[in-house]
Amino acid sequence: MRATNMKKAISKTRLLLAPMVAMVLLLTVAAHAAAPGITGTGAAGTFNLTAQQAYLNQPDGQAIYSWGYGCTTAPAVSAFRPTLSATSAPFCNTMQVPGPTLIVTENVAFSVTLTNNLPTAAGNTSILFPGIKLNSTASGTQGLLTQEAAPGATVTYNLVATSPGTRAYYSGTQGDLQVEMGLYGAIIVLPATTAGCNAVPNTVTHYVNTAAGNTAEADFRLAAAAYDSVSGINNTCYDREYLFQFSEMDPNIHEQALVQVNRANCTAAGVTAGTCRLEVPTEPYHPAYFMINGRSMPDDMDPNYAREYPHQPYNGNPHMHPGEQVLLRIIGQGRWQHPFHEHGNHVRILGRDGNLILASTAAAETNLAGPLLFTTTTTPGLAMDGIFYWTGKGLNWDAYAHNPSSPDPLAKLTCTPDANGYNALPAARTALNYYEWCQDHNKPLQVNPFGDVASNGPMTLPDANILTNGAWYGGSPYLGPNATTRATGCLGTFNSVTNPQGNGPNCGITGSTPPSGTIANSPSGEAGFAFMWHSHNEREITTNNIFPGGMLMMMLVDSREFQIDESN
Amino acid sequence: MRKSYQVWLPVFLVCLSTLAANAQSFRVQCPTNTITHPSALHDNNSEPTYTGPTTLSAPSATTFQTPTAHVNGAIKCQQISGGDGYSTMGDGTQTYMFSFGPLSGVTDIANGLPGTQFPNNFNVLLAPGTVLQPGDPATTLGSLFDANGNPYNAAVGLAMDIPNLVSIYDISVAGTTVTVVGNAPLGVRVGEMVTISGTGTPFDGTFAVTAATAVNPFFAANLAFTVTNAAAAGQAEITESTTATAGLAARIDGHVDARPIMDVGVMNGNIPAPLMAIDEDDEFFLTLTNVGMIMRPDLFEQHTVHFHGYPNASSFYDGVPDASVAINIGGSFTYYYLAPDAGTYFWHCHITPPEHLQMGMVGQIYVRPRQDRVLAGASLYTALQGQENDLRTACRRAGDGGTTSVTAPTDILCSNPVPAINTGISAVATVVSAPGTTTAGYAYDDGDGSTAYEVEYPIQIHGFDPNFHFVGMTFNPEGFSDMKDKYFLLNGRGYPDTVTAGPLQTVAADGVNHMSQPLPSIINIPAGGRALLRISDLDVTEYQTLASLGIPMKVIGYNAKLLRDQAGNNLAYYTNSITLGGGESLDVILDSCAVRAATGACTTPMATGVYFLYTPNLDHLSNDAENFGGLMTEVHVN
Repeated sequence: MRATNMKKAISKTRLLLAPMVAMVLLLTVAAHAAAPGITGTGAAGTFNLTAQQAYLNQPDGQAIYSWGYGCTTAPAVSAFRPTLSATSAPFCNTMQVPGPTLIVTENVAFSVTLTNNLPTAAGNTSILFPGIKLNSTASGTQGLLTQEAAPGATVTYNLVATSPGTRAYYSGTQGDLQVEMGLYGAIIVLPATTAGCNAVPNTVTHYVNTAAGNTAEADFRLAAAAYDSVSGINNTCYDREYLFQFSEMDPNIHEQALVQVNRANCTAAGVTAGTCRLEVPTEPYHPAYFMINGRSMPDDMDPNYAREYPHQPYNGNPHMHPGEQVLLRIIGQGRWQHPFHEHGNHVRILGRDGNLILASTAAAETNLAGPLLFTTTTTPGLAMDGIFYWTGKGLNWDAYAHNPSSPDPLAKLTCTPDANGYNALPAARTALNYYEWCQDHNKPLQVNPFGDVASNGPMTLPDANILTNGAWYGGSPYLGPNATTRATGCLGTFNSVTNPQGNGPNCGITGSTPPSGTIANSPSGEAGFAFMWHSHNEREITTNNIFPGGMLMMMLVDSREFQIDESN
Repeated sequence: MRKSYQVWLPVFLVCLSTLAANAQSFRVQCPTNTITHPSALHDNNSEPTYTGPTTLSAPSATTFQTPTAHVNGAIKCQQISGGDGYSTMGDGTQTYMFSFGPLSGVTDIANGLPGTQFPNNFNVLLAPGTVLQPGDPATTLGSLFDANGNPYNAAVGLAMDIPNLVSIYDISVAGTTVTVVGNAPLGVRVGEMVTISGTGTPFDGTFAVTAATAVNPFFAANLAFTVTNAAAAGQAEITESTTATAGLAARIDGHVDARPIMDVGVMNGNIPAPLMAIDEDDEFFLTLTNVGMIMRPDLFEQHTVHFHGYPNASSFYDGVPDASVAINIGGSFTYYYLAPDAGTYFWHCHITPPEHLQMGMVGQIYVRPRQDRVLAGASLYTALQGQENDLRTACRRAGDGGTTSVTAPTDILCSNPVPAINTGISAVATVVSAPGTTTAGYAYDDGDGSTAYEVEYPIQIHGFDPNFHFVGMTFNPEGFSDMKDKYFLLNGRGYPDTVTAGPLQTVAADGVNHMSQPLPSIINIPAGGRALLRISDLDVTEYQTLASLGIPMKVIGYNAKLLRDQAGNNLAYYTNSITLGGGESLDVILDSCAVRAATGACTTPMATGVYFLYTPNLDHLSNDAENFGGLMTEVHVN
């Protein structure tokens, strides 16, 4: 059945597939992870990496022969960032795709020692660190672009990053094959100073839904800002961060590599005879797998370090609360460009390859000059840092479905605008509707709502019978479990308050029935606003001809009733 | 395995028969009066002049803010069909599509204009005695009129709703607020006139509804409504009257007749999908009516509309079926947005995107700036400073001249701060009706006139893989990774069709001519004038480059945002080519002026003649096997 055209069967049974996907999600631990990686060991900040072979899992059931970077020996738990909960078990396997994310600090020297444990037939390998200063190398053999490690041998790179930001690292030896096989990874360079940023993010001291068993959220940032402060001012502060690496695979190349690795005569005699080498054609190129962080949808939304993916530890499953500034670290690996479309809002590009983009003349407070993009095109070898947030500003209706005439106190919250018009004054920090856009506060959406929601708005919602619900549909037009439960109008009580419209004949008659099929985004537990983040060269949101798949993930804006836990 | 879902067909049909009787199926929504645009302040049938932000009532804990004077923007409505159709490629090949077609603004669409309408053009019946036929408006262009004698642009299918009458169970008054509880829902909306009779008391009369639902001790809230009646003050409650009734007259309320919708909508798909254009501050009501795909009866295919690039979008109206709702065949769904910041956006169906986009469900939408509505002669800089006084549109920095001082950090995602340099340029008289006609306007709220243009052209880049389309028409499963476009399209056409005036027609499988490609891409610039090209790309497979021969391209906007940094410096740049991937847009100005004065006036025009826009991806200059065609069009400086 390999590479056969299963598309119709898959897409037309999508309603079945999506719940299955969602069930997988529900069966695993909730996964909303930051930008995980490792720090160097010892005073010298040493990373000991190995290049090895293994198989990558794909959601079509295929295991793809690949090469990747990994840790020569498992680092101590203390080397992993962000600091993880006791229940998490981060690992750095001997081979993973992408390679371990290396977390270093600006102007602090570090070194990477690479051991070549690839099959002998693969020949030498190496690492390029574009945008990072290479002070010296040790051991290794001279290659075309850099010092290389011969089979079984090592090479050491002594490096220092002179500016903060996200960058790529990847093989500098026969890159058309070795990068395709998976030899790439990310380096995150933390700024030396973040003065002017919040010591703790907006995520930490906020509304806690203790009734649902929630606790305060932790700080999962690697730093408080993406770039350095200038005179105590920093325009690159953030509350959360996510790292996305884009790559693609042509399975024919990987099959050929495997065949030749097994066929090559790499005994000492074979080397002499010149038969111990690979001659894998890398053109014409027909990729069938399109991956974010080495995984295809829906696998990318499973947790970091999920045991099902021993060689693909990093996920792509962003969550955020309204108003949080979210740093996106985006890297193009592989060989193609991908137009990565962020639904929900624009992204302000801060910098490229560690270079902050600044206005020619400006006060420090207003010096950002990077573009605002709704599609951030990834380019091979290029890394971008950008800020995204979502607030619902300008929707012209109250996304929280506040209703001043409701008996439910949570429906009658206040909204006091700060200088930018958000409910974000210090006193509102612990409010459920922190960062609500106040100009639309209490403003109704529906002409005649079905439930405990204000009326006289502009819209009549259709009968739910003519619609099909998505697996990530929160169950109503509104944000959060409280608003959704009130809006669907068929529950008699919520938070011990009786719905004035009761559970009587009104329930379901004028339109909505209780939401169904929304299992990836529970109406009573999460009810977030889900947005698809995906490649807009749409054939890349497939996995080997199967839709959905590939470069696709769901981003969720969660009400503060829902606890976002990035600890896995 | 492919046809496994067909076993569900009988099950589905059984389910269908048990649907609630009140399933709404087709309908349109286009209110004439909303809480954001009260008709008492402006009739919403035109755009008011922009002299400053809308005046809003003071915030309060128990109410929401409403306009109290001087409201900006208006109400815009549009209806589209989701279904299938055929188009004609540059080599004459008839190509099957999944596609959207116009179900309002059909005359405007046929003329290459946006199909977006004000309420008074949308909520009007077809001229008496006229009947819409399959293939309209292709076969009757220019001879279709509405009941007011204007060119027909109304919602297709619109019909008078029947008079409705319910018996009153209980009627009571508190102060001057009369609460009427019926024995059944009357289906009133706020502001509608309801006639109460048979009470034999001052309760009788005709009144405007003040609340469409009312909590009451008897029945569910949607069986009750309220009106204001001073004469009824102090009247005793009447319960279980045998004669009291509440009635609505026959009226236009979004009710539609399915027959004209099916006659016009089936196999009427367009490429690109119907053009939409709104103005900042507008409320936009877009109704998607799913008429089904006649050529693929095996697919119970839903459709949606994704407003690509809308900042701070709502998930509910974002059109992603996984994250929201999708519209089944036989149903209508109305999308609702307050217009976002000005810019060139686009839209498409988000069901199985690699398939529905490749098959043709792609269209254009752009938002015109407030600056277009500034009085001619007024300072653009001052007008933009005015916008800084509304938090919704503000993009502040210290020293920007706003009436209040800046106390908060600059919003990192706001896009149009006042320019660093006040050029002192005044607004020109703007006409905001038509792309391709000699008008004048601005692409963005620039405050310095740097995005001014004389003519405006929306151009969408797309590609068709004929193999995929053939396979899609013939009930076969389609492969994705080997998708290879062979037709390269500007507004759904390959050269030389790109320069053919007027709409293209294609005979569909029903043997009738349907309007298939309404938008030419021929660019006519009056000598010395500037053309704004609103370029978007929805190609599904690869990046596309478009180059200009002879006239430099000035890129002024990117991804629906003005190219300007946070300090107010313009970042517009000149180039001879632009490259876009699927899901990207930008704004280019082609200036046919050789020497332009600081005031913006052209002192030396370029030579008149024919210039070209073409792709340097030379293999894209083809219509399948036919050279020389594809991604190319002409620029005529007249």
